[in-house]
Amino acid sequence: MTEVTTLPDWTAIAPALALLGTAFVLLLADMIDPDDSNGTALTGISVTGGLVALGFALWYLLAGTGQPGASQEPTEGAIELFGDALVVDGMSLFFSVIITSVVVLVALASHEYLREHPYQAEYYSLVLLASTGMVMVTAANSFVTAFISIELVSLPSYALVASLKTNEGSVEGGLKYFLIGALSSAIFAYGIALVYVATGSLQFGAVEIAIADGVGFDSLLGLGMLMILGGIAFKIAAVPFHFWAPDAYEGAPAPISAFISSASKAAGFVLGFRVFVDVFGTATGVFDWVDAFLILSIVTMTIANFTALKQDNVKRILAYSSVAHAGYILIALAAFTGSVEGEISILGAGMAHLFVYGFMNTGAFLFIALAEYWDVGRTVEDYHGLGNRAPFACAAMTVFLFSLAGLPIGGGFFSKFYLLFATVTGGQELLGAALIINSVVSLFYYTRIVRAIWIEEPGEDLEPGEYPTGLYAAIAVAALATILLIPAFGFVIEYAEIAARMIGG
Amino acid sequence: MLGTHPLASSISIPIVPGIGGAEVTALFPLVTFVLILAFGRYLPFKGAFPGIVATGLGFLVALATVVEIAGGAGPRHETLHTLVAGVSGEGVTLTFGVLIDPLSALMLTIVGLISLLVHLFSLGYMNAEGEIDLPRYYAALSLFTFSMMAFVLSDNLLMSFVFFELVGLCSYLLIGFWYREPGPASAAKKAFLVTRFGDYFFLIGVVAVLGTFGTAQFASYAPGVEASFVEIATDALEHGETGEMRTFLGLGERAWITAIGLLVLGGAVGKSAQFPLHTWLPDAMEGPTPVSALIHAATMVAAGVFLIARMYGFYALSPTALAVIALVGGFTAFFAATMALVKQELKQVLAYSTISQYGYMMLALGGGGYVAAVFHLTTHAIFKALLFLGAGAVIIAMHHEENMWEMGGLKDEMRTTYLTFLAGSLALAGIFPFAGFWSKDEVLFETLVHALGGGAPVLFVAYALGLLAVILTAFYTFRMVLLTFHGDPRTDTAEDPHSITLSMKVPLVVLGVLSVVAGVLNMGVFKGFLPENALFLERWLDGATMGEQFRESSLTAEHYHHVLTHDFGAGYSSGYAGLGEGNLALVGGVVALVLALIPAAVAWRLYGGAEPDPHMMNLGRIRTVLMNNYYQDEYQVWLARGFTLPIATLANKFDQGIIDGLVDGSGGVSLFAGGRFRQIQTGVATTYAALLVLGLLILIAVFAVTGGWI
Amino acid sequence: MSDWIAIGALAVVAVVIPLSMMFISWLIRPSVPEQGKRATYESGEVPTGSSRQVKFNIQYYMVALLFVIFDIETAFIVPWTVIFDGAVEEVGFAQAFAPMAVFIGLLVVGLAWAWRNGAVEWVRSARAERQRVE
Repeated sequence: MTEVTTLPDWTAIAPALALLGTAFVLLLADMIDPDDSNGTALTGISVTGGLVALGFALWYLLAGTGQPGASQEPTEGAIELFGDALVVDGMSLFFSVIITSVVVLVALASHEYLREHPYQAEYYSLVLLASTGMVMVTAANSFVTAFISIELVSLPSYALVASLKTNEGSVEGGLKYFLIGALSSAIFAYGIALVYVATGSLQFGAVEIAIADGVGFDSLLGLGMLMILGGIAFKIAAVPFHFWAPDAYEGAPAPISAFISSASKAAGFVLGFRVFVDVFGTATGVFDWVDAFLILSIVTMTIANFTALKQDNVKRILAYSSVAHAGYILIALAAFTGSVEGEISILGAGMAHLFVYGFMNTGAFLFIALAEYWDVGRTVEDYHGLGNRAPFACAAMTVFLFSLAGLPIGGGFFSKFYLLFATVTGGQELLGAALIINSVVSLFYYTRIVRAIWIEEPGEDLEPGEYPTGLYAAIAVAALATILLIPAFGFVIEYAEIAARMIGG
Repeated sequence: MLGTHPLASSISIPIVPGIGGAEVTALFPLVTFVLILAFGRYLPFKGAFPGIVATGLGFLVALATVVEIAGGAGPRHETLHTLVAGVSGEGVTLTFGVLIDPLSALMLTIVGLISLLVHLFSLGYMNAEGEIDLPRYYAALSLFTFSMMAFVLSDNLLMSFVFFELVGLCSYLLIGFWYREPGPASAAKKAFLVTRFGDYFFLIGVVAVLGTFGTAQFASYAPGVEASFVEIATDALEHGETGEMRTFLGLGERAWITAIGLLVLGGAVGKSAQFPLHTWLPDAMEGPTPVSALIHAATMVAAGVFLIARMYGFYALSPTALAVIALVGGFTAFFAATMALVKQELKQVLAYSTISQYGYMMLALGGGGYVAAVFHLTTHAIFKALLFLGAGAVIIAMHHEENMWEMGGLKDEMRTTYLTFLAGSLALAGIFPFAGFWSKDEVLFETLVHALGGGAPVLFVAYALGLLAVILTAFYTFRMVLLTFHGDPRTDTAEDPHSITLSMKVPLVVLGVLSVVAGVLNMGVFKGFLPENALFLERWLDGATMGEQFRESSLTAEHYHHVLTHDFGAGYSSGYAGLGEGNLALVGGVVALVLALIPAAVAWRLYGGAEPDPHMMNLGRIRTVLMNNYYQDEYQVWLARGFTLPIATLANKFDQGIIDGLVDGSGGVSLFAGGRFRQIQTGVATTYAALLVLGLLILIAVFAVTGGWI
Repeated sequence: MSDWIAIGALAVVAVVIPLSMMFISWLIRPSVPEQGKRATYESGEVPTGSSRQVKFNIQYYMVALLFVIFDIETAFIVPWTVIFDGAVEEVGFAQAFAPMAVFIGLLVVGLAWAWRNGAVEWVRSARAERQRVE
């Protein structure tokens, strides 16, 4: 805790400040010569900024910033800023680490992907602004900051999805994302308004106290909670708020698909955890949100997995896989028991899965970026025989896919196992069964891609093109992280549970 | 760590590590796997050579381990790596470790030996035949050997599960080795799917064990391991100490233990090809024959039985689970044998015979015969590997012709193959004094004794099925031998078979000799006339050679017997029908021998001539049913096609069909001008929005009604 | 309750006055049809495309966005200036001044970037030129 005494409190949001600063540095750099971007310099700035933010987040997390000191209760120690509008605690730092890691990978991978792109500086600064928003979401401690941060994530994301301006798919995906996003934001804001009406406050702590004291407008509060749930479900792409996801992921530049499906989802979940477990934790009598998440979780994983079976486009398969994973992680909320000890392991499992997912899912989408870079095509058939041409990248892809499926080749095995265990702890055996069945179903389409890469003969001679350094480096880092998360999983779950304890307690 | 026995230390130290480093048996093949994967093309014999060296070394270490245990060392139980340490007191700790006790040491030796011989045999079967892609073959073989050994060495259920799945993967890879042909590719898929079906239950069982007991350890010798889950369960039932045990679904301790046992049994039923999940094994014969010998006869298929044996103390607590195991085993033994009667392909007969023999092992486990099951597992591994390798030799000689009606008269041209194959067949049929006679008899004896002792009446049924299967086994075995090797050659190929290499003959001879003598391990039939300590395997599994730490622990055959025969456990007791143990064993042996010899004689009458007739044709409609394997495949295919596929289609329709339909529909009636592209775009986005709002409204409606907002 | 009656009366008056003015001017004005009068008016900007879906040159929106941003800036600065003296007394000059400096600084960077990228350079599209209504 020494650095808290030496540094002023506001430095606790240094990760967000670093990202924001980098975004502006990028704009300044672009002003030097707007018509001719120096891609390498821009990538360098973005990666450096991301690393600085990651460094801050990791440092704080490991140093115990915002976490209970030795003499404190496990729920104490959070740093509250700006009149309690922001809070920096174990959970916000844990998720900041996930988000900034993804940002670094995405920025690194974009280097070659953007080689012909006319608006590179804008692209990078939008990525960094969106990630600033994500880090702010993790620290939001009031519905106002939460809403503004969510919008700060959403608006750059819409532009990023549509950033391939001459590509119909990209523009179409961006527009759909924008329209559905606007609708969801409206629902979210309406929900916030209703909660405000019922409780008379927007600050999380005050709302929690108001609910604990009992409010006179139970149905208004319940409706508001449900609408907030809708807004969050949009952000994490849970059925039936997922319709934008396959189109947006498919149309977007692959690094952006990785960014949105990994980091943006993590930001949505952190808000879900904080708002529902912490703020609405005692309001299950008003609106049984546990049951609502239970329904969403099962419906999401089932529909997404079974739909993915029928897809031919690899990016779309991964898009549905990403939706399915939202369903898995929702278990952390759907298995909510209300008991402190059980809840910590359940929430911790969800957070740990998001952590692992951040690497493996990003990696898988970056592999698609590589394939798009080489123009090999979009369908599973087009991937035939890629293994001969790029054995390293394909090996990494195999790790990602199998880890996503939950095979013990990457950290995904343990995190899924913990989720399964969480369903047992939470007494939701049905949910556990759904998880197992769906994981098995998912194995089919993951294996399909792996088989296409390794076993099938290439349809025509693939020209061995150049090997993009940045993209390869990003894939390598993601693969390494995915594998290393097997031995390091104990470490992750430990911090996940510390984070969970701070909101669950 | 090393034993104090002079023999143990003198042998083990200079040459190989033995029990102290038994996990290197598994590491050798792992290293080879990586080597072959990376440099397979450049290695001698396309990777066969490193494979032979690795399995050879592994076998030596396994032998040294056995010697050391025989000299008093062990058991060894060590946590090698703790993977997950959650915040103290919550979650579970997942560990990887090794457990070396008599059972795993024995199994390790079997796996090492068969694997070595199969590698050797593959030189002739694969390399000499000019197969392509051999590095892939040897890499998968090495990976399999690694996984199987690691499975055997596992000290907890979760680790077992991981390697259980890995061997399944290797099986998939190897069955589908010739994936360019449709047969092997689809057989591989089928094997994968069917065994996976059983594995779901296993996985749930693993979670249930962890959730119930907080640990999945098999044993508690290692420092830091307080009690194995088996011990916790035993304590809960024996002394009513339910402190560490949590039950779910409102079940009592015993019922919950039974439930867990049955869940884990699901995995064993799939892997060991027991009814109704046996359908994959005959199809798995599409793989290369050495693979069939190693994986689908001797080792991987044994994993299910081994798993039950590994946690036998747990099953011994539940009479219900034991009865289910016995019944499944007995029924499978009989049921598979009937199908073997009519098969025309050599390997198909062997496949059904394998299913049937694993039925015997299950029968033994269910009937309270732990030693008998392990004994039959051992002898069966030897003689069935031998038969498959022999069949491989025949197939090579016949230029990949497998139909027995196209063979005949091979005994003169293929002397070595014939003699060794005959030894294996006599063992399979259970003819005195070949290995199978002793072990099969032990299985039946144990079941009978516990049936007579007034245990579950279902044991009588299982016993009767087992006895019937003896008759069928002898018949189809001799039919197979006679059709293949005797009579006149029925085709030109059979007249002038392809010669086989020395590297194929050596494994045949080694296994042939073992098939003759392996019965010495446990001559239970003569237990009334032999000194107490002549039943080597029983003494071995009791840990009679080992220190007190093992002898008084919960992993000995004696402990299992203790649990089995007490009321907190299965409550079995022994009955000898007034004959006494020794006499009953002898009578049982004689009965089984007679029951085997009569059908053998009948087979000789029917198929022994120079030009045998296809007598099975006379069975008419029964034959059709048998040839179609009781239509087992059909309903399983229906499950996949009629049930799973429609769900997938439906889900796709929901996401794509409804939307596309709406869009296309609106396109038709749309009054707005403009390009089709724009229409789809706006159409889809509005449909998305409409569905999104609809979803929200449904949620609101549901919770408004249930939550009492209105 | 009587208060509400007054408000209602005022609302009626507010609607009636403009309606009556439009009605009277419709009665007494001369009718000279001309295309320019029917064109959509938006700050002097020329619309393009059909009249059913009115479109403007994309740069019009760029300027509009810049305008909105500085509008909001004004909305923040005005209350800030009002309380500035009191704030300085309460928390000191730096605490009162720095947030606004940062806020304006961010906007300046944004404006500079937009300027540098040509957001305020007016380029007419050929189509807009063609459809220009003189």
